[in-house]
Amino acid sequence: MWSFILKRLVQGVITVWFIATATFFAMHNVPGDPLLNDRAMTAAIRANVEAKYGLDKPISEQYVIYLGNLVQGDFGISFTQENREVNDIIREHFPVSATLGILAVLFAAAGGVLWGALTALYRNRMPDYVIMFFVILGISVPSFVIAAVSQLMLVGVNSALGATLLPVAGWGTLSHMLLPALVLGLGTMAYLTRLMRSSMLEVIGSDYVRTAKAKGLPAARIFTKHQLRNAILPVITVLGPSIAAITTGGFVVELVFAIPGLGRYFVQAVQQLDYTVIMGTTVFYGAFLVFMVIVVDVLYGFIDPRVRMQ
Amino acid sequence: MKQAAVELLAVENLNVEFDTYGGVVHAVRGVDFSVAAGETLAIVGESGCGKSVTVQSMMGLIPMPPGRITQGSARLRGKEILGQSRIDGREIRGAQIGMIFQDPMTALNPTMTIGDQIAEPLQVHRGLSRAAAAREAIRLLEVTRIPEAATRAKQYPFEFSGGMLQRAMIAMAIACKPEILIADEPTTALDVTIQAQILDLLQELQRETGMAIVLITHDLGVVARMADSVAVMYAGKVVERGSVDDIFYRSAHPYTLGLKAAMPSNDPTRKQSLQPIEGSPPDLFSPPPGCGYAPRCPHAMKVCQQQQPPETALSSAEIGRPHGSRCWLHDADSPFKPAELHFLDGGSDAEKGAVL
Repeated sequence: MWSFILKRLVQGVITVWFIATATFFAMHNVPGDPLLNDRAMTAAIRANVEAKYGLDKPISEQYVIYLGNLVQGDFGISFTQENREVNDIIREHFPVSATLGILAVLFAAAGGVLWGALTALYRNRMPDYVIMFFVILGISVPSFVIAAVSQLMLVGVNSALGATLLPVAGWGTLSHMLLPALVLGLGTMAYLTRLMRSSMLEVIGSDYVRTAKAKGLPAARIFTKHQLRNAILPVITVLGPSIAAITTGGFVVELVFAIPGLGRYFVQAVQQLDYTVIMGTTVFYGAFLVFMVIVVDVLYGFIDPRVRMQ
Repeated sequence: MKQAAVELLAVENLNVEFDTYGGVVHAVRGVDFSVAAGETLAIVGESGCGKSVTVQSMMGLIPMPPGRITQGSARLRGKEILGQSRIDGREIRGAQIGMIFQDPMTALNPTMTIGDQIAEPLQVHRGLSRAAAAREAIRLLEVTRIPEAATRAKQYPFEFSGGMLQRAMIAMAIACKPEILIADEPTTALDVTIQAQILDLLQELQRETGMAIVLITHDLGVVARMADSVAVMYAGKVVERGSVDDIFYRSAHPYTLGLKAAMPSNDPTRKQSLQPIEGSPPDLFSPPPGCGYAPRCPHAMKVCQQQQPPETALSSAEIGRPHGSRCWLHDADSPFKPAELHFLDGGSDAEKGAVL
């Protein structure tokens, strides 16, 4: 098990290095440069600034310097926001995005497993049809539409009640987090529901569930001990990519709900070609996702003995 | 001659249908058989003849819908077990009737240890504590001849070989000391040497516990080796039943004769190669009005196409194991005498003996 984790960590480091390298060269190949926006830029000032940020050196040398800093955990200073280190931006705003993301993933996973199991157990009956209707809705409607509509509905509910059931936007308390997390997790929840449904149907028809019935076990025990645990395996495999989908999808939802997350900086940085912020947020997100995928793989090993032993 | 003991399980006129997109499949069409305490009944027949559906519907294991039992009864010691409430049904399954399946590789839960899976019915039916059930599971693995049972109990199905898994399945099925063990093609998925070991184990367990075994198989060699009574099934019906001697030496139904002729033999004096039964079983979406075997039967008469043959009681070598056959050839107006029937395919008694 430990060698498995170690192997995955080494693979993870290599993956992050790939991400950093690809982002670095892609970014430098985008037309324009971060200093283009400043109007009062004479050739002399420009040379000064380029020297300050190391932009006057050849790309290959910049790359080596960059990697050196990266290994020390230094993402550099923002080009567009004065005196702000990228590390500060991440430290300040990532916890907000991460809280939102984790909450959304929890919503999605719990909901997906629950609804998926339910639809499978009530296959081709009313609960199945009703839930699957909402699942199709959740998959096909983009999150910013759901975000706006849910905000609108919340405004209606709040004014009808004459009190604030949940705040419509902003950040701070758990009540601020609930709606955005739900909206953010909805698409993934719908996707996981479908996955869980088909996986559960397969398990229900499996030989070992028939064996469990032949042993005369109560339905509840068959459900928890034999069906759920086996049906959940495919859901766990896609949980890693789902976390990726949710965190990247988070940018839009953060914007709609005025949440001070990292997403805004990420998008702004790309628009302004703020090299260091682009690199910092991309590599950081990349590392975070790689880490989450490893966590999911280890988790999978705990649930499926066949993976654990190999 | 052995004498059959008390009747334990009696199945009468069992009918099972399945709704499919293609229509209603009449998978089991009036099956009768009975099992005496401590005996082994073999249900034989080719694939799709309804052997598995018969026992699985009896055990409440077919999904309903699309399946349904339209008629019939199955009584265990006189008590009806079909259509039981969930709780009573559970008490019968696993506790009074144990069951093992064809493919042990898929019949066990891949994410649960072998020991836990064997312990489950003990906890549920016998109310044993977790620890006590775990100890009993290890003992059961020892009973089924699994070496290092204590270590093995902590392992998962993927760490077992096919033969070992079938032993574990048997351990699970006999955990609550059932009166009947239903073995649904228990050796079909295993290689020949393992097959023999599993059959030996079943016989040993039967001797020790006195449980009855209902053995579903399409292998006549297995039947000859294991069975006391035999029910031959074809197209959802039992076409011939009787003691193993009656079925092998005094076969009365043309299908039974056909099956015997199709059996491979390693007798060097027998020059004949095996003879397949030409044709295929009838479409059970619209079962024929007459005998299901008529289109393939070398002796078919006009009446065979039109009317179902009734069961004719034949002379039986064993008291308590009546020999019966559903064939118009046994009718009083038939051109053949029942006594002659088993010579129809040209064999001699001595030759029939070679299969046993």
